[in-house]
Amino acid sequence: MRNMLLIARREYLERIRTKAFLIMTILIPAIMGGSLVLPALFIKKSQDKLKHLVVVASDQRTGNYMAEQINQQREVEGREKQQAEKPQARPSGGLPGAGRWTIDVDTNTSESNRAALSDKVKLKLLDGVIWATAENLSARKVPFITRDVSSFEENMQVQRSITRALQRDALEARGFSDAEIENLQKSIDLNPESPSGVQVKSIESTIFTSIFPLMVLYMSVLLYGINVMNAVLEEKSSRVMEVVLSSVEPKYLMAGKLLGVGAVGLTQIFIWAAIGASVSGSAIMGSGVDLKKIVGGRELAFFVVFYLLGYLLYSAMYAAVGAMCNSQQEAQQLSQLVTMPLVIPLFLIGYIIQYPGAPLSVAASLFPLTSPLMMYARIASVQPPGWKEIALSIALLAVTIYGVVLLCAKIYRVGILMYGKKPTLPEIVKWIKYA
Amino acid sequence: MQTIELNHVRKTYDHFVAVDDLSLGIEAGTVYGLLGPNGAGKTSTIRMMIGITQPDSGEIKIFGKPFERKSLQKIGYLPEERGLYKKMKVFDQLVFLGELHGMSRADAGTRAREWCERLDIAEKLQSKVEELSKGMQQKIQFIAALLHDPEFVIMDEPFYGLDPVNAGLLKDVLLDLKRQGKTILFSTHRMDQVEKLCDSICLINRGQPVLQGKLSQVKSKFGKNNVQIEYVGNDDFLQQTQLVGSYNNYGNYVEVRLAPGADSQELLRAVAARSRVNKFELVEPSLEEIFKEVVGKTDA
Repeated sequence: MRNMLLIARREYLERIRTKAFLIMTILIPAIMGGSLVLPALFIKKSQDKLKHLVVVASDQRTGNYMAEQINQQREVEGREKQQAEKPQARPSGGLPGAGRWTIDVDTNTSESNRAALSDKVKLKLLDGVIWATAENLSARKVPFITRDVSSFEENMQVQRSITRALQRDALEARGFSDAEIENLQKSIDLNPESPSGVQVKSIESTIFTSIFPLMVLYMSVLLYGINVMNAVLEEKSSRVMEVVLSSVEPKYLMAGKLLGVGAVGLTQIFIWAAIGASVSGSAIMGSGVDLKKIVGGRELAFFVVFYLLGYLLYSAMYAAVGAMCNSQQEAQQLSQLVTMPLVIPLFLIGYIIQYPGAPLSVAASLFPLTSPLMMYARIASVQPPGWKEIALSIALLAVTIYGVVLLCAKIYRVGILMYGKKPTLPEIVKWIKYA
Repeated sequence: MQTIELNHVRKTYDHFVAVDDLSLGIEAGTVYGLLGPNGAGKTSTIRMMIGITQPDSGEIKIFGKPFERKSLQKIGYLPEERGLYKKMKVFDQLVFLGELHGMSRADAGTRAREWCERLDIAEKLQSKVEELSKGMQQKIQFIAALLHDPEFVIMDEPFYGLDPVNAGLLKDVLLDLKRQGKTILFSTHRMDQVEKLCDSICLINRGQPVLQGKLSQVKSKFGKNNVQIEYVGNDDFLQQTQLVGSYNNYGNYVEVRLAPGADSQELLRAVAARSRVNKFELVEPSLEEIFKEVVGKTDA
């Protein structure tokens, strides 16, 4: 027991002191944060950019009307967005951080004009051309010539503006007042609730609370599992194993190793959580990403629980792989078998977030090889499972871990003293029986 | 009292018999040589002594009691292939290994410093193991085996790869341990090295003991049938099979094992007749010679 703790302490201290640990601890949040914040910042920047568009219409009045509607639409949406982000702030009015777009109206609907305007877009003299001829409007198919054909947000905005302009035009023609029209055109907010009456979290925040921590969870389990494997391999190939085994029983050696390396992972997670908590609400949050939502207390608690369970399950298997092999190359091939079930959840994330209550999601969150990641994903999803299901998942996992650790300890015990060729499956079965 | 006792120990791996019906006992306070060629079963035997593996059958007693893990704290082990954590600092490493043997952290630290000073590597205490030369690593390994002041020291090929100066240094330490009444087990295939140190030996081959006993007894049993001859000139005499049973030509001198019934004086005359003799000495056979003879017999 004392020796197990000594082993664990050595593994822990030797790892914590390395540069690799420091770099990982800083780099991962930087990359993760960057991948979240940077695109958001870029999108915001491109949205803030003042654009120069041309609306080509069959008559001047329709053209002017649409140009006006595009800017109004931007103003309305900007205000709505601002309120969604900071509900307590009073709408400041006007466009958020930006002014009106310059929108020229052109009534020349000839093909040659279209070619000339297209060229201007190509040469970046213009940002876009909306080809809203009477013919196109009545067919309700309007070409939008732009360099950012794939800019979803912007294209939707233009689309909504034109649709609204047409509706507005028609309503005005029937004598509706401005206020009436605005009321009619206002879209409704949909607030999903579960049958038990619990307010469901918005799907946007779920993406941050599930995908982001899930990636970290996956990485931590994988990283520290592989770490255990490499530590075993190193002890085996450097033959330290024999020295240590002359005073420690193999099972305590393995247990100490799992504890020590696992504690390193846990330390890292707490550091990350602390970093997350301290930067949330600070300057970079201008990008609209609220980190508080990511590091909520409940999620963090479950994160730690499922990290530990997942880590124990996989690192025991990785330790066995390390004990079976003689070199990194050998271990790499064999460890892929262990890694595979760990990767499956990554393919299922999207599905689970969308349908957390579907049978597949429930099954994946109970099946022990996938449950550490999948149950966490469900807990962080819009519709968290009940306590009973969480408890069942943890219980199944605990039983599996017990069995797997026992089995792997047997393989480990024999494997660490075997040098030479890689064992075959029947040989491993023999080891397990022998031990 | 016997420090360790093996009774009819057998160990097999799959179908390979590593150790077969081995019995031996080591008297407390003596130096014992476990000798044999590579693959003879020396390391397998040692592994069973320190509980890394268990014998399939037979019994092992340590300090007069059946094997128990607690006894391991009084055993120091230097493995055949050196094993240290490469990235770990020398001092941390020694303290860690000392603690594993039941020492307190402070004790282990003090003793690690003392030992490093004694073996001239105190300035490397804060270096990582991978930064040290092979000889230095060996010294660290050596210290690791002795740090906890074990009663029983097991050294598997202790001098392998050491230069004469360092080998001498370690030999002195071992002799010192012997004076303190510790029991030392050597395992090696370099028989000449151990010959000078051991009180008793066990020669094993293919997992079986072929020759056991006090070194002096073993040697006298084989008698002074060997002659070392230093000469200049013709070596035709080596072909006289009625005189020369077998020989080893070492270049500067030749060691001749007399043919059964041959007279050493006759050989001297034969050599002197054709060459100039600088030295002619009747010697005990070396362990290597004995080993060759015994193994040759058992193989036949």
